Amino acid sequence: MKLIPSTRAADQRPLQVLRRSPGTNGMNLATTESGITVVDDSREFERFARPHAAAALRLARTLVTNEADAQDVLQDSFLRAFRHFRGFSGESPRAWLLSIVRNVSFTLWRKQKRSEPDEPETELEAEPDPAPSPEERLLEACDAELVQAALGQLPTLHREVLVLREMEECSYREIACVLGVPIGTVMSRLSRARAQLVRKLAGDLRSRM
Amino acid sequence: MNTLNEHPRGALHAHLDGELSLEGSLEVEHHLLDCASCRSELDTYRALRQLLQSAKATASEAELTLLRVTRTFHLRHRQRKFFVVGGAMAAAALLALVLVPGGTSGIANEVASVHARAMEAGRTEELASRDPAAVERWLSTQSLEPVPPTEGGEGIALRGARVELLDGRRVATVVYQVGSHVVDVFAWRSAEADIEPRPTVAGRWTVCRWAHRGVAYWMVSDMGTEELQVLAGLIRNRRT
Repeated sequence: MKLIPSTRAADQRPLQVLRRSPGTNGMNLATTESGITVVDDSREFERFARPHAAAALRLARTLVTNEADAQDVLQDSFLRAFRHFRGFSGESPRAWLLSIVRNVSFTLWRKQKRSEPDEPETELEAEPDPAPSPEERLLEACDAELVQAALGQLPTLHREVLVLREMEECSYREIACVLGVPIGTVMSRLSRARAQLVRKLAGDLRSRM
Repeated sequence: MNTLNEHPRGALHAHLDGELSLEGSLEVEHHLLDCASCRSELDTYRALRQLLQSAKATASEAELTLLRVTRTFHLRHRQRKFFVVGGAMAAAALLALVLVPGGTSGIANEVASVHARAMEAGRTEELASRDPAAVERWLSTQSLEPVPPTEGGEGIALRGARVELLDGRRVATVVYQVGSHVVDVFAWRSAEADIEPRPTVAGRWTVCRWAHRGVAYWMVSDMGTEELQVLAGLIRNRRT
Protein backbone atom coordinates (compact mmCIF):
# COMPACT_ATOMS: atom_id res chain seq x y z
CA MET A 1 0.00 0.00 0.00
CA LYS A 2 1.43 3.33 -0.98
CA LEU A 3 0.12 6.04 1.24
CA ILE A 4 1.96 9.25 1.68
CA PRO A 5 1.15 12.57 3.27
CA SER A 6 -0.41 15.30 1.19
CA THR A 7 1.53 15.95 -1.99
CA ARG A 8 0.25 19.49 -2.48
CA ALA A 9 3.16 21.67 -3.49
CA ALA A 10 2.46 24.14 -0.72
CA ASP A 11 2.72 21.40 1.89
CA GLN A 12 6.06 20.14 0.66
CA ARG A 13 7.78 23.53 0.77
CA PRO A 14 9.88 24.26 3.81
CA LEU A 15 8.43 27.02 5.95
CA GLN A 16 9.44 30.34 4.49
CA VAL A 17 11.43 32.87 6.39
CA LEU A 18 11.16 36.25 4.74
CA ARG A 19 12.86 39.49 5.59
CA ARG A 20 10.95 42.58 6.49
CA SER A 21 11.91 46.18 6.83
CA PRO A 22 12.16 47.78 10.24
CA GLY A 23 9.06 49.61 11.30
CA THR A 24 8.87 53.30 10.66
CA ASN A 25 6.44 54.40 13.31
CA GLY A 26 7.77 57.79 14.30
CA MET A 27 6.76 57.25 17.90
CA ASN A 28 9.12 54.33 18.16
CA LEU A 29 12.24 55.81 16.63
CA ALA A 30 15.33 57.14 18.29
CA THR A 31 18.33 58.42 16.34
CA THR A 32 21.74 58.17 17.92
CA GLU A 33 24.48 60.76 17.47
CA SER A 34 26.10 58.58 14.83
CA GLY A 35 22.88 58.77 12.84
CA ILE A 36 21.78 55.20 13.43
CA THR A 37 18.03 54.88 13.77
CA VAL A 38 16.94 52.54 16.51
CA VAL A 39 13.43 51.12 16.39
CA ASP A 40 11.58 50.18 19.53
CA ASP A 41 9.92 46.92 18.51
CA SER A 42 9.30 45.75 22.05
CA ARG A 43 5.53 46.06 21.96
CA GLU A 44 5.32 44.55 18.49
CA PHE A 45 7.50 41.66 19.64
CA GLU A 46 5.29 41.22 22.68
CA ARG A 47 2.21 40.88 20.47
CA PHE A 48 4.11 38.52 18.18
CA ALA A 49 5.45 36.20 20.89
CA ARG A 50 2.70 36.32 23.50
CA PRO A 51 0.38 33.70 21.90
CA HIS A 52 3.29 31.25 21.85
CA ALA A 53 4.92 32.02 25.21
CA ALA A 54 3.26 29.17 27.08
CA ALA A 55 4.16 26.69 24.32
CA ALA A 56 7.75 27.90 24.50
CA LEU A 57 7.88 27.28 28.24
CA ARG A 58 6.32 23.84 27.90
CA LEU A 59 8.89 22.89 25.26
CA ALA A 60 11.70 24.20 27.46
CA ARG A 61 10.38 22.08 30.34
CA THR A 62 10.38 19.10 27.99
CA LEU A 63 14.00 19.59 27.03
CA VAL A 64 15.75 20.54 30.28
CA THR A 65 15.83 18.84 33.62
CA ASN A 66 14.53 21.38 36.09
CA GLU A 67 12.23 24.40 36.32
CA ALA A 68 15.02 26.91 36.93
CA ASP A 69 16.78 25.82 33.72
CA ALA A 70 13.48 25.97 31.84
CA GLN A 71 12.93 29.55 32.99
CA ASP A 72 16.50 30.48 31.96
CA VAL A 73 16.02 28.85 28.56
CA LEU A 74 12.75 30.74 28.08
CA GLN A 75 14.27 34.09 28.94
CA ASP A 76 17.34 33.52 26.72
CA SER A 77 15.06 32.41 23.90
CA PHE A 78 12.97 35.56 24.12
CA LEU A 79 16.13 37.68 24.17
CA ARG A 80 17.53 35.89 21.15
CA ALA A 81 14.22 36.05 19.30
CA PHE A 82 13.89 39.75 20.01
CA ARG A 83 17.37 40.47 18.63
CA HIS A 84 16.52 38.73 15.36
CA PHE A 85 12.89 39.75 15.27
CA ARG A 86 13.36 42.60 12.81
CA GLY A 87 14.60 40.20 10.16
CA PHE A 88 11.72 37.77 10.52
CA SER A 89 8.44 37.60 8.69
CA GLY A 90 7.87 33.93 8.19
CA GLU A 91 4.79 31.76 7.94
CA SER A 92 4.94 30.39 11.45
CA PRO A 93 6.13 32.57 14.32
CA ARG A 94 5.43 29.65 16.63
CA ALA A 95 7.73 27.25 14.78
CA TRP A 96 10.43 29.93 14.62
CA LEU A 97 10.19 30.68 18.33
CA LEU A 98 10.10 27.01 19.31
CA SER A 99 13.15 26.27 17.17
CA ILE A 100 14.99 28.97 19.12
CA VAL A 101 13.88 27.40 22.41
CA ARG A 102 15.24 24.06 21.18
CA ASN A 103 18.58 25.56 20.16
CA VAL A 104 18.95 27.42 23.44
CA SER A 105 18.12 24.23 25.35
CA PHE A 106 20.80 22.28 23.53
CA THR A 107 23.28 25.10 24.12
CA LEU A 108 22.57 24.65 27.82
CA TRP A 109 23.04 20.91 27.43
CA ARG A 110 26.48 21.52 25.96
CA LYS A 111 27.39 23.82 28.85
CA GLN A 112 26.28 21.10 31.23
CA LYS A 113 28.36 18.66 29.17
CA ARG A 114 25.39 16.53 28.29
CA SER A 115 25.40 14.85 24.90
CA GLU A 116 22.51 15.88 22.68
CA PRO A 117 20.02 14.44 22.02
CA ASP A 118 20.15 11.63 24.55
CA GLU A 119 19.92 8.73 22.10
CA PRO A 120 21.36 8.42 18.59
CA GLU A 121 18.77 8.79 15.88
CA THR A 122 19.85 5.51 14.29
CA GLU A 123 19.00 3.56 17.44
CA LEU A 124 15.60 5.13 17.67
CA GLU A 125 14.86 4.47 14.05
CA ALA A 126 15.98 0.87 14.43
CA GLU A 127 13.28 0.07 16.97
CA PRO A 128 10.78 -2.56 15.89
CA ASP A 129 7.85 -1.37 13.86
CA PRO A 130 5.21 -0.17 16.30
CA ALA A 131 2.03 -2.16 16.53
CA PRO A 132 0.85 -2.04 20.10
CA SER A 133 -1.73 -4.53 21.16
CA PRO A 134 -5.13 -2.97 21.79
CA GLU A 135 -4.51 -0.77 24.81
CA GLU A 136 -7.31 1.72 24.51
CA ARG A 137 -9.23 0.38 27.50
CA LEU A 138 -6.07 0.19 29.53
CA LEU A 139 -5.31 3.83 28.80
CA GLU A 140 -8.65 4.81 30.29
CA ALA A 141 -7.18 3.98 33.70
CA CYS A 142 -4.31 6.47 33.23
CA ASP A 143 -4.24 9.90 34.79
CA ALA A 144 -2.33 13.06 33.90
CA GLU A 145 0.33 12.42 36.53
CA LEU A 146 1.10 8.94 35.18
CA VAL A 147 1.27 10.31 31.65
CA GLN A 148 3.67 13.08 32.63
CA ALA A 149 5.88 10.56 34.43
CA ALA A 150 5.91 8.17 31.47
CA LEU A 151 6.54 11.01 29.04
CA GLY A 152 9.49 12.12 31.14
CA GLN A 153 11.10 8.72 30.73
CA LEU A 154 11.02 8.70 26.94
CA PRO A 155 14.10 9.70 24.94
CA THR A 156 14.20 13.42 24.25
CA LEU A 157 13.63 12.93 20.52
CA HIS A 158 10.39 11.12 21.24
CA ARG A 159 9.29 13.37 24.06
CA GLU A 160 9.64 16.58 22.09
CA VAL A 161 7.84 15.32 19.00
CA LEU A 162 4.91 14.16 21.15
CA VAL A 163 4.72 17.47 22.99
CA LEU A 164 4.84 19.43 19.74
CA ARG A 165 2.17 17.35 18.05
CA GLU A 166 -0.20 16.27 20.82
CA MET A 167 -0.01 19.20 23.22
CA GLU A 168 0.88 22.14 21.00
CA GLU A 169 -0.94 20.73 17.96
CA CYS A 170 1.81 21.73 15.55
CA SER A 171 1.50 20.59 11.94
CA TYR A 172 4.11 18.24 10.49
CA ARG A 173 5.62 21.19 8.61
CA GLU A 174 5.95 23.20 11.79
CA ILE A 175 7.48 20.25 13.63
CA ALA A 176 9.92 19.68 10.76
CA CYS A 177 10.89 23.36 11.00
CA VAL A 178 11.38 23.21 14.77
CA LEU A 179 13.41 19.99 14.68
CA GLY A 180 15.26 20.78 11.46
CA VAL A 181 14.41 17.41 9.89
CA PRO A 182 12.39 16.31 6.83
CA ILE A 183 8.66 15.67 7.21
CA GLY A 184 9.23 11.96 6.63
CA THR A 185 11.42 11.86 9.73
CA VAL A 186 8.74 13.64 11.71
CA MET A 187 6.25 10.97 10.68
CA SER A 188 8.43 8.00 11.56
CA ARG A 189 9.58 9.56 14.82
CA LEU A 190 6.04 10.40 15.84
CA SER A 191 4.73 6.90 15.13
CA ARG A 192 7.54 5.34 17.17
CA ALA A 193 7.11 7.82 19.98
CA ARG A 194 3.39 7.12 20.25
CA ALA A 195 3.93 3.38 20.25
CA GLN A 196 6.67 3.66 22.83
CA LEU A 197 4.53 5.79 25.14
CA VAL A 198 1.59 3.41 24.86
CA ARG A 199 3.83 0.47 25.73
CA LYS A 200 5.33 2.39 28.62
CA LEU A 201 1.94 3.39 30.03
CA ALA A 202 0.58 -0.11 29.65
CA GLY A 203 3.62 -1.53 31.44
CA ASP A 204 3.33 1.02 34.26
CA LEU A 205 -0.35 0.28 34.71
CA ARG A 206 0.17 -3.48 34.75
CA SER A 207 2.92 -3.15 37.33
CA ARG A 208 0.49 -1.16 39.52
CA MET A 209 -2.14 -3.90 39.37
CA MET B 1 -4.49 -1.46 -2.99
CA ASN B 2 -4.43 -4.58 -0.90
CA THR B 3 -6.49 -3.76 2.17
CA LEU B 4 -6.23 -7.22 3.66
CA ASN B 5 -2.51 -7.92 3.83
CA GLU B 6 -0.89 -4.53 4.46
CA HIS B 7 -1.44 -2.23 7.39
CA PRO B 8 -0.91 1.47 6.64
CA ARG B 9 1.06 2.13 9.82
CA GLY B 10 2.71 5.44 8.88
CA ALA B 11 -0.35 6.65 7.05
CA LEU B 12 -2.51 5.76 10.04
CA HIS B 13 -0.67 8.40 12.07
CA ALA B 14 -0.85 10.95 9.26
CA HIS B 15 -4.58 10.20 8.96
CA LEU B 16 -5.03 10.73 12.71
CA ASP B 17 -3.16 14.04 12.43
CA GLY B 18 -5.13 15.28 9.44
CA GLU B 19 -1.99 15.39 7.33
CA LEU B 20 -3.05 13.13 4.45
CA SER B 21 -4.30 14.24 1.09
CA LEU B 22 -7.96 13.50 0.36
CA GLU B 23 -6.94 10.50 -1.70
CA GLY B 24 -4.71 9.16 1.05
CA SER B 25 -7.42 9.64 3.68
CA LEU B 26 -9.94 7.76 1.55
CA GLU B 27 -7.50 4.87 1.17
CA VAL B 28 -7.00 4.67 4.91
CA GLU B 29 -10.73 4.89 5.58
CA HIS B 30 -11.27 2.07 3.11
CA HIS B 31 -8.67 -0.06 4.84
CA LEU B 32 -10.17 0.64 8.25
CA LEU B 33 -13.53 -0.75 7.16
CA ASP B 34 -11.98 -4.20 6.83
CA CYS B 35 -9.21 -4.11 9.43
CA ALA B 36 -10.14 -4.37 13.10
CA SER B 37 -6.48 -4.32 14.08
CA CYS B 38 -5.89 -0.88 12.52
CA ARG B 39 -9.18 0.44 13.91
CA SER B 40 -8.11 -0.62 17.35
CA GLU B 41 -4.66 0.91 16.89
CA LEU B 42 -6.20 4.18 15.75
CA ASP B 43 -8.54 4.23 18.77
CA THR B 44 -5.58 3.64 21.05
CA TYR B 45 -3.73 6.62 19.62
CA ARG B 46 -6.86 8.77 19.90
CA ALA B 47 -7.10 7.81 23.56
CA LEU B 48 -3.40 8.60 23.97
CA ARG B 49 -3.97 12.03 22.44
CA GLN B 50 -6.75 12.78 24.92
CA LEU B 51 -4.52 11.69 27.77
CA LEU B 52 -1.65 13.89 26.64
CA GLN B 53 -3.93 16.87 26.20
CA SER B 54 -5.30 16.35 29.70
CA ALA B 55 -1.71 16.35 30.98
CA LYS B 56 -0.89 19.63 29.25
CA ALA B 57 0.37 21.94 31.96
CA THR B 58 -0.50 25.61 32.16
CA ALA B 59 2.46 27.91 31.66
CA SER B 60 1.01 31.38 32.16
CA GLU B 61 4.16 32.59 33.93
CA ALA B 62 5.84 32.52 30.50
CA GLU B 63 4.01 35.75 29.70
CA LEU B 64 5.57 37.43 32.70
CA THR B 65 9.02 36.42 31.44
CA LEU B 66 8.14 37.81 28.03
CA LEU B 67 6.96 41.08 29.56
CA ARG B 68 10.15 41.34 31.56
CA VAL B 69 12.25 40.95 28.42
CA THR B 70 10.24 43.37 26.31
CA ARG B 71 10.01 45.91 29.13
CA THR B 72 13.79 45.80 29.51
CA PHE B 73 14.26 46.62 25.84
CA HIS B 74 11.55 49.25 25.98
CA LEU B 75 13.20 51.02 28.92
CA ARG B 76 16.61 50.86 27.25
CA HIS B 77 15.10 52.40 24.15
CA ARG B 78 13.47 55.15 26.18
CA GLN B 79 16.75 55.88 27.92
CA ARG B 80 18.60 56.09 24.61
CA LYS B 81 15.93 58.34 23.13
CA PHE B 82 16.02 60.50 26.20
CA PHE B 83 19.78 61.02 26.04
CA VAL B 84 19.77 61.71 22.32
CA VAL B 85 17.05 64.33 22.55
CA GLY B 86 17.78 66.07 25.76
CA GLY B 87 21.46 65.50 26.57
CA ALA B 88 22.25 66.44 30.12
CA MET B 89 18.71 67.57 30.89
CA ALA B 90 17.39 64.25 29.79
CA ALA B 91 19.89 62.48 32.00
CA ALA B 92 18.66 64.46 34.94
CA ALA B 93 15.07 63.68 34.05
CA LEU B 94 15.88 59.99 33.74
CA LEU B 95 17.40 60.06 37.18
CA ALA B 96 14.21 61.63 38.42
CA LEU B 97 12.31 58.66 37.03
CA VAL B 98 14.30 56.34 39.27
CA LEU B 99 14.12 58.51 42.36
CA VAL B 100 10.97 58.51 44.39
CA PRO B 101 9.25 61.90 44.13
CA GLY B 102 9.81 64.27 47.02
CA GLY B 103 8.01 63.48 50.23
CA THR B 104 7.66 59.78 49.48
CA SER B 105 11.21 58.50 49.95
CA GLY B 106 10.48 58.22 53.68
CA ILE B 107 7.50 55.99 52.95
CA ALA B 108 9.60 53.93 50.53
CA ASN B 109 12.07 53.22 53.31
CA GLU B 110 9.25 52.45 55.72
CA VAL B 111 7.68 50.05 53.20
CA ALA B 112 11.04 48.31 52.78
CA SER B 113 11.53 48.08 56.57
CA VAL B 114 8.07 46.63 57.13
CA HIS B 115 8.72 43.99 54.47
CA ALA B 116 12.19 43.20 55.84
CA ARG B 117 10.82 42.73 59.37
CA ALA B 118 8.08 40.38 58.16
CA MET B 119 10.56 38.35 56.12
CA GLU B 120 13.10 38.10 58.92
CA ALA B 121 10.40 37.08 61.40
CA GLY B 122 9.07 34.50 58.97
CA ARG B 123 5.63 36.03 59.47
CA THR B 124 4.72 37.22 56.01
CA GLU B 125 0.98 36.61 56.38
CA GLU B 126 -1.50 36.51 59.22
CA LEU B 127 -4.03 34.77 57.02
CA ALA B 128 -2.48 32.19 54.67
CA SER B 129 -4.89 31.54 51.81
CA ARG B 130 -4.84 31.22 48.06
CA ASP B 131 -8.51 32.12 47.85
CA PRO B 132 -9.00 35.81 46.87
CA ALA B 133 -12.51 35.87 48.36
CA ALA B 134 -11.27 34.51 51.70
CA VAL B 135 -8.47 37.09 51.80
CA GLU B 136 -10.84 39.95 51.04
CA ARG B 137 -13.31 38.69 53.66
CA TRP B 138 -10.57 38.52 56.27
CA LEU B 139 -9.32 42.03 55.48
CA SER B 140 -12.89 43.38 55.72
CA THR B 141 -13.17 41.89 59.22
CA GLN B 142 -10.12 43.96 60.12
CA SER B 143 -12.06 47.08 59.08
CA LEU B 144 -9.52 47.77 56.36
CA GLU B 145 -10.17 49.36 53.06
CA PRO B 146 -9.17 49.85 50.35
CA VAL B 147 -7.88 46.35 49.70
CA PRO B 148 -5.16 45.67 47.10
CA PRO B 149 -6.02 43.29 44.24
CA THR B 150 -6.05 39.67 45.39
CA GLU B 151 -6.33 37.70 42.14
CA GLY B 152 -3.51 35.29 41.22
CA GLY B 153 -2.61 34.04 37.76
CA GLU B 154 -0.01 35.03 35.13
CA GLY B 155 2.71 33.49 37.31
CA ILE B 156 1.53 35.38 40.39
CA ALA B 157 0.33 33.22 43.30
CA LEU B 158 -1.66 34.62 46.20
CA ARG B 159 -0.18 33.67 49.59
CA GLY B 160 -2.44 35.56 51.98
CA ALA B 161 -2.71 38.84 53.86
CA ARG B 162 -1.70 40.70 56.99
CA VAL B 163 -2.17 44.13 58.56
CA GLU B 164 0.71 46.60 58.77
CA LEU B 165 1.21 50.03 60.28
CA LEU B 166 2.46 52.35 57.53
CA ASP B 167 2.62 56.12 57.28
CA GLY B 168 0.79 56.33 60.61
CA ARG B 169 -2.20 54.16 59.61
CA ARG B 170 -3.30 50.53 59.58
CA VAL B 171 -2.92 49.23 56.06
CA ALA B 172 -4.26 46.17 54.23
CA THR B 173 -1.33 44.07 52.98
CA VAL B 174 -1.75 41.39 50.34
CA VAL B 175 1.11 38.93 49.95
CA TYR B 176 2.01 37.24 46.68
CA GLN B 177 4.57 34.68 45.58
CA VAL B 178 6.22 35.18 42.17
CA GLY B 179 8.75 32.44 41.48
CA SER B 180 11.01 32.45 44.52
CA HIS B 181 10.11 36.05 45.47
CA VAL B 182 7.69 37.16 48.18
CA VAL B 183 5.87 40.36 47.21
CA ASP B 184 3.91 42.65 49.55
CA VAL B 185 1.30 45.02 48.17
CA PHE B 186 -0.12 47.80 50.37
CA ALA B 187 -3.00 50.18 49.62
CA TRP B 188 -4.54 53.24 51.26
CA ARG B 189 -6.73 56.19 50.32
CA SER B 190 -4.94 59.09 48.69
CA ALA B 191 -5.93 62.41 47.11
CA GLU B 192 -3.11 62.29 44.56
CA ALA B 193 -3.69 61.97 40.83
CA ASP B 194 -3.08 58.69 39.00
CA ILE B 195 0.61 57.73 38.78
CA GLU B 196 2.14 55.00 36.63
CA PRO B 197 4.13 52.27 38.47
CA ARG B 198 7.45 53.81 39.46
CA PRO B 199 10.18 51.61 40.95
CA THR B 200 13.02 52.60 43.22
CA VAL B 201 15.64 50.84 45.31
CA ALA B 202 15.51 51.07 49.10
CA GLY B 203 18.50 49.27 50.56
CA ARG B 204 18.43 45.67 49.40
CA TRP B 205 14.73 45.87 48.52
CA THR B 206 12.94 47.18 45.46
CA VAL B 207 9.88 49.32 46.05
CA CYS B 208 7.33 50.34 43.45
CA ARG B 209 4.48 52.80 43.89
CA TRP B 210 1.55 53.82 41.79
CA ALA B 211 -1.74 55.60 42.30
CA HIS B 212 -5.04 54.77 40.72
CA ARG B 213 -8.49 56.26 41.26
CA GLY B 214 -7.81 57.77 44.64
CA VAL B 215 -5.84 54.85 46.04
CA ALA B 216 -2.07 54.81 46.61
CA TYR B 217 -0.41 51.42 46.11
CA TRP B 218 3.03 50.37 47.27
CA MET B 219 4.74 47.14 46.40
CA VAL B 220 8.00 45.71 47.74
CA SER B 221 10.10 42.65 46.98
CA ASP B 222 13.67 41.54 46.31
CA MET B 223 13.12 41.52 42.52
CA GLY B 224 14.88 43.84 40.10
CA THR B 225 13.33 47.24 39.38
CA GLU B 226 12.22 46.36 35.85
CA GLU B 227 10.73 43.07 36.94
CA LEU B 228 8.81 44.70 39.78
CA GLN B 229 7.59 47.46 37.49
CA VAL B 230 6.17 44.88 35.07
CA LEU B 231 4.55 43.03 37.96
CA ALA B 232 3.07 46.26 39.28
CA GLY B 233 1.58 46.92 35.85
CA LEU B 234 -0.04 43.49 35.83
CA ILE B 235 -1.50 43.91 39.30
CA ARG B 236 -2.64 47.46 38.65
CA ASN B 237 -4.53 46.32 35.55
CA ARG B 238 -6.58 43.96 37.70
CA ARG B 239 -8.13 46.91 39.51
CA THR B 240 -9.47 49.04 36.67
